[in-house]
Amino acid sequence: MSQFVQPNSVAATAIVVALCLTAPGHVLAQSSTRQPDAKRGAVIAAQGTAQVPACAQCHAFSGASDSSGTFPRIAGQSAYYLAKQMHDYTSSARANPIMSPISKALSADEIADVSAYYASVDSQFPPLATADAAIVEKGKQLARVGDAARAVQGCNNCHGPDGAGATPAIPYLAGQYAQYISSQLQMWKRGFRNTSPESMAPIAKQLDDQQIAAIAAYYQQVRGQQEVPDATDASAAKR
Amino acid sequence: MAERLKPVDVVTVGVGLTGAIMGKELAAAGLKVVGLERGPARDTVPDFQSPTIHDELRFAVRKALMQDNVKETVTVRNSVDQTALPMRRWIGFLPGTGLGGAAVHWNGQTYRFQPSDFIYRTHLEQRYGKSFIDPELTVRDWGVTYDELEPHYDRFEYLCGTSGKAGNIKGQIRPGGNPFEGFRSREYPTPPMKEPYYGALFRKGAESLGYHPFPQPASTLSQPYTNPEGLTLQQCVFCGFCERFACEHFAKASPQTIVLPVALKNPNYELRTNCQVLRVNLDSTGKKATGVTYVDAGGREFEQPADIVLITAYALNNVRLLLNSGIGRQYDPRTGEGAVGRNYAYQTVSGVSVFYDSDVNINPFMASGSSGTVIDDFSGDNFDHGPHGFIGGAYVGAIMTNGRPIEFHPTPPGTPAWGLGWKQAVARHYNHTVALTVHGSSHPSRGNYLDLDPTYKDAWGLPLLRMTFEFPDNDIRMSSYVTEKTVEIGRIMGGRIVAGAPRKKPYTTTVYQTTHNTGGAIMGDDPTTSVVNRYLQCWDASNVFVVGASAFAHNASYNPTDTVGALTYWALDAIKNKYLKSPGPLVQT
Repeated sequence: MSQFVQPNSVAATAIVVALCLTAPGHVLAQSSTRQPDAKRGAVIAAQGTAQVPACAQCHAFSGASDSSGTFPRIAGQSAYYLAKQMHDYTSSARANPIMSPISKALSADEIADVSAYYASVDSQFPPLATADAAIVEKGKQLARVGDAARAVQGCNNCHGPDGAGATPAIPYLAGQYAQYISSQLQMWKRGFRNTSPESMAPIAKQLDDQQIAAIAAYYQQVRGQQEVPDATDASAAKR
Repeated sequence: MAERLKPVDVVTVGVGLTGAIMGKELAAAGLKVVGLERGPARDTVPDFQSPTIHDELRFAVRKALMQDNVKETVTVRNSVDQTALPMRRWIGFLPGTGLGGAAVHWNGQTYRFQPSDFIYRTHLEQRYGKSFIDPELTVRDWGVTYDELEPHYDRFEYLCGTSGKAGNIKGQIRPGGNPFEGFRSREYPTPPMKEPYYGALFRKGAESLGYHPFPQPASTLSQPYTNPEGLTLQQCVFCGFCERFACEHFAKASPQTIVLPVALKNPNYELRTNCQVLRVNLDSTGKKATGVTYVDAGGREFEQPADIVLITAYALNNVRLLLNSGIGRQYDPRTGEGAVGRNYAYQTVSGVSVFYDSDVNINPFMASGSSGTVIDDFSGDNFDHGPHGFIGGAYVGAIMTNGRPIEFHPTPPGTPAWGLGWKQAVARHYNHTVALTVHGSSHPSRGNYLDLDPTYKDAWGLPLLRMTFEFPDNDIRMSSYVTEKTVEIGRIMGGRIVAGAPRKKPYTTTVYQTTHNTGGAIMGDDPTTSVVNRYLQCWDASNVFVVGASAFAHNASYNPTDTVGALTYWALDAIKNKYLKSPGPLVQT
């Protein structure tokens, strides 16, 4: 066992306390300097820049993208999360042949601005066909309590009540396109997506393809379906 | 009349951390094991999922995971001339119940004791002389050494997947770890958790004073990990609902995540929940157990015969079961004779609050039960006690566990206790305060002990356990010294106001301190002053083993769970490799 010699702590303390009085705040830096400009971000979204096509081409100016689900809905997603994804495309932690060149061609300020813009947008949800009620119910079960046999926790633990998101770090899933959710879980499962590898990859690997499809189908119909005239109860109204 | 069941090889009284580990291991060795758990069955999915589990009112305030003290509680007094009264609401400490026991709601802080703790009296007398220890204190050697326990600490930590940074691997001091710790045979199974901002502030302050900060060892995991039982744990997400709650993420080591699923798959293992054990039955000689008697949820009484009885409940309940079963001789504080109930110890905890200007944002809600940064410079015998006139010490750290809305309300001294002034102070300080913990040792003293209450009984008509406890003067002096040192750290951290509150007498159960109740069925070499031998085997009934913090001869500066885990594997090793080959006393008297 080692014995450490105590420094002359009374004297040492006296000196440091004296220094502290003249320069208060032995505190780590934690300030950000520039405020993002959502208006400038809107211009990038609509027009692009000299090197970058307009975001709106795929994600729509409203951030709702199109209903194919190839492109995610980004409207109202947190600015922190959107900017982090862009930086991850730049670093290739999240590799994508379309998004990586775009993010590399944008400056950090431009990324901050365009993220601030899409975070501020409150856009409509397009009407979509919903999946079979049994599949949605299975997805709801996984989302709320997980699967004991596979040791998978409920998605909502992190993604918030019914996938509402936990800003700023954790994205909403409610109303996200099923096609997109399912493709991302597959990316984690197969090792192509390396953002949040320690939380999402082990979970995705535990899920089989039917479970992934069920989770995706469930979250897609959580938001937006109330605009369909006769679907008053989203979980019970499937025919 | 109790229905007599088919005999089995082993019965465990309680299926918490120790019961689950022992049950799993002995079933794997081919023995028929029955685990009796007084509380309900429960598991990560579906019982611990959010939003249900993130209910501060239900779990933190109303203590939904704790022992039902309408049925069973503890009576408490400060000295023998007082009348003990029952704790009708858990506040001061929180015994768990239900499958997994208190290891479901623990924080995951996973510290080893110091090598000197196990040879405590010998060590202190060698270093400071025979007259240094206050004669009021009944400190003693444990009968086992750190070197003997090291492989079992290692095994328990690898079972949990504990996240940390070793400071001493086989005698080599490693940067970034705890330079004071006893040797480890290898690095922690997973790297340390991310350092929260409050941890970083503390680290800088402590370093500037020449201390040796290191990341708190945590069984809330920093990354996914598959343990030697083949069970996979996930990464902790710093949800801020750890202690008093169950983990929804498979991220906190608990019997459900580290060992129980393996036991439950073994046909040799049978779990029975909602079964309240009333007593251990002895044969006509009174020297051998024949099994246990329990009551199930329907109120039916059963006798479960067993060759080996493992008492694996919470420390206080271990002691109570021994007394209600007539095993061992009650300790008497007047004569100093007797063994059961002796050397009850607690933990001497105090705090220092560091209040910052409002531009320093702490975000206390992003926390795990065991994240944070600590120093070991003032723990145990890591510093020279010669000038101070006390023994023991405390680890000190910024180890905030939560920023939950109902109970996390830091306010500086002088703040009104209610009304507008209080509300304004809470709003001002909520996000700008670092709470430092001083987690100190507790020494047994002649007057502190456990016995059966002469008046109060539980729902089954059995006497409650009575606790007689007051902080020894030695521990009050220790708390005063280390708290003052911690105030110095708080000042250097840049706090605008730094408020220290050293532990004061009298001991009261109406302020939460810690659930670390230890002793009462202590291990040792002498059958007249210890309840179990060095293998946790009862001196008075060789087929009964009493496993848990009840075996601690004193409580060191650290959280007890790692040492409970190590002692569990140590006892298992003796049962499997010695006792089963030749049943009978493992230590001759």
